[in-house]
Amino acid sequence: MAQEAHGAFYDLLAVRGVSRRDFLKYCSYVAATLGLAETAAPQIAAALEKGTKLKPALWLNGGSCTGCTESMAQVDSPDVATIVLELLSLNYFETIMAAAGEQAEKNIEDTIADGGYLLIYEGAVMMGEDGNTLLVNGEKGTDILQHAAEGADAILAVGACAVDGGWVYAHPNPAGAVGVQSFLDGVKVKTPVVNLPCCPTSPEWVVAMVVQWLLVADDDPALFLEKTALLAKEYHDNYRDADVSLLYPEYIVGSTIHDNCPRRGHFENGEFVTEFGSEEEAKGYCLYKVGCKGPQTYTQCPVTRWNRSVSWCVNSGAPCIGCGGLNWVDNNAPFFKRLSSMQMGGSLGNVQPGSVAAVVGGVAAAALVAHGLGMKAAGRIGDGPPMEEMKAYDRKHGAKKGGDK
Amino acid sequence: MSGHAHYREAHPLVFVITHWINLICMIMLAFSGFYIHFPFFDGFMGVARGMHFVAMFVIIINLTFRIVAAFFVKTATQLGSREVDTDIKNWLPQEENKHQFFETVKYYLFFRKEGVISAKYGSLQKIAYLATIPLTYIMAYTGFCLYGPTADWGFFAGGTAMVGGPMSMRIIHYFMMWVFIVFTMIHAYLANIYNLNPSKIIFAWKETDH
Repeated sequence: MAQEAHGAFYDLLAVRGVSRRDFLKYCSYVAATLGLAETAAPQIAAALEKGTKLKPALWLNGGSCTGCTESMAQVDSPDVATIVLELLSLNYFETIMAAAGEQAEKNIEDTIADGGYLLIYEGAVMMGEDGNTLLVNGEKGTDILQHAAEGADAILAVGACAVDGGWVYAHPNPAGAVGVQSFLDGVKVKTPVVNLPCCPTSPEWVVAMVVQWLLVADDDPALFLEKTALLAKEYHDNYRDADVSLLYPEYIVGSTIHDNCPRRGHFENGEFVTEFGSEEEAKGYCLYKVGCKGPQTYTQCPVTRWNRSVSWCVNSGAPCIGCGGLNWVDNNAPFFKRLSSMQMGGSLGNVQPGSVAAVVGGVAAAALVAHGLGMKAAGRIGDGPPMEEMKAYDRKHGAKKGGDK
Repeated sequence: MSGHAHYREAHPLVFVITHWINLICMIMLAFSGFYIHFPFFDGFMGVARGMHFVAMFVIIINLTFRIVAAFFVKTATQLGSREVDTDIKNWLPQEENKHQFFETVKYYLFFRKEGVISAKYGSLQKIAYLATIPLTYIMAYTGFCLYGPTADWGFFAGGTAMVGGPMSMRIIHYFMMWVFIVFTMIHAYLANIYNLNPSKIIFAWKETDH
């Protein structure tokens, strides 16, 4: 049986024009993504070979731009990632499924009825207007998610929007966007959620989670949670006014972009790009001064990189805009400024902390100069003012000479 | 208020030294902090960060030492006096400070002519000097929330999550520096507005008579 499966898998690779060598190279790359030693590659390969049994999965879209789907679909040649992802039987995938209408909706119901499936959720959960800000087939998006989440083995929340509402959640959030975990907390669904950050999420991270599922968990959600190194991050969901604890794979969010950045040497040397199109930019200097949010963004983008590991934002010359963080738009805009602006509201609008500080410092300095002139006018400079004989309080209360001193 | 002598009893040598350490560390922290916030010239980031981390440990240790020493070292109880008592008693509000808060405010706003009876320090002055203790420790806390080696310790990560992430913490840390800058401006101004004798005693340990 194992031999058969083995053969079937390599047939699949052969059909796609992928050699065994390419496949094993990819496995060691996945091992690195998972934070394992390269020696784990054969185990990963074995797990994938075994994994020809299809795992049913639903890919639901909430309030999303379909960017994460795009990210998954960015394949210019048949590659291993595609084949691994084909280990998932995606019974419902709005953007790319062949089925439509009644049939497509029935696929959701059938998958839920059969149970034992993975739920992959892309986009924000739209809670605004009592859930009416997102309707699919006349049904509220929130109801669809709740229903599908209740029966799922586990949920992968892919992309910043599914994690905490992403940019849809940004102030003033009229659609009432929240993350998957936050929504499920509210409706008391206990299915475990693993969050994969960024806008869009990295296909390699989704692959890594599928590998993890097959490699160590043996299709068992409890084992999956136990064996995967997970990191919990807390945040306060302002829309629901609730504290939420998010589970992330530790290897994906364990260190800052800054710590792994290939331009880090330029940072330490104090070599910065001050404006775009300059000589410094051509030299590939650090983008800190043009607003790079790498120092406070916890993802391993510099390690995995993007587009089949070809490049990533900072490599291609753009400062990190912090899309791997929580409430990332409010926390990081304007993207080309060192600090984010504070949302003061009203006629003040968004204000840079530096402007506020300059006003405070300027007012304090001006006040001291004015006060100094007053002190001079009052003749206090030099020996100081004549001292009172007794406290004003004591005078008023008719104390004996010397008062309560 | 200032027509009095400045004796060494007011500021024993140990506190002249802690004051010097504070000043040097504050200047180093503010300068390197401004540089880390926005590097205004090239080639200094590694040094600026090193400077910031060294000065931060020194100033925290110095402040803690200063507080402990206040319970053992004796300082002058009154302005221009050689009579001494345990320093902490003169640092906390004294009998003479009672009922004098609003009078002091009135004096500085020119609503009264005569100087206000105060003890070693005036009411406003004592509030400011005592406030620097929690302020420095809170400043250190926000700094440790951003400092790589400690940022993910539960004690600090919890605070970062509470204020809404590392960017918010960075902004708080930045604003708190301005609190210290404004404090230092007011402190230097008020200490030396009458004459420079207070600076002579605290920096050079040089006594002056009236």
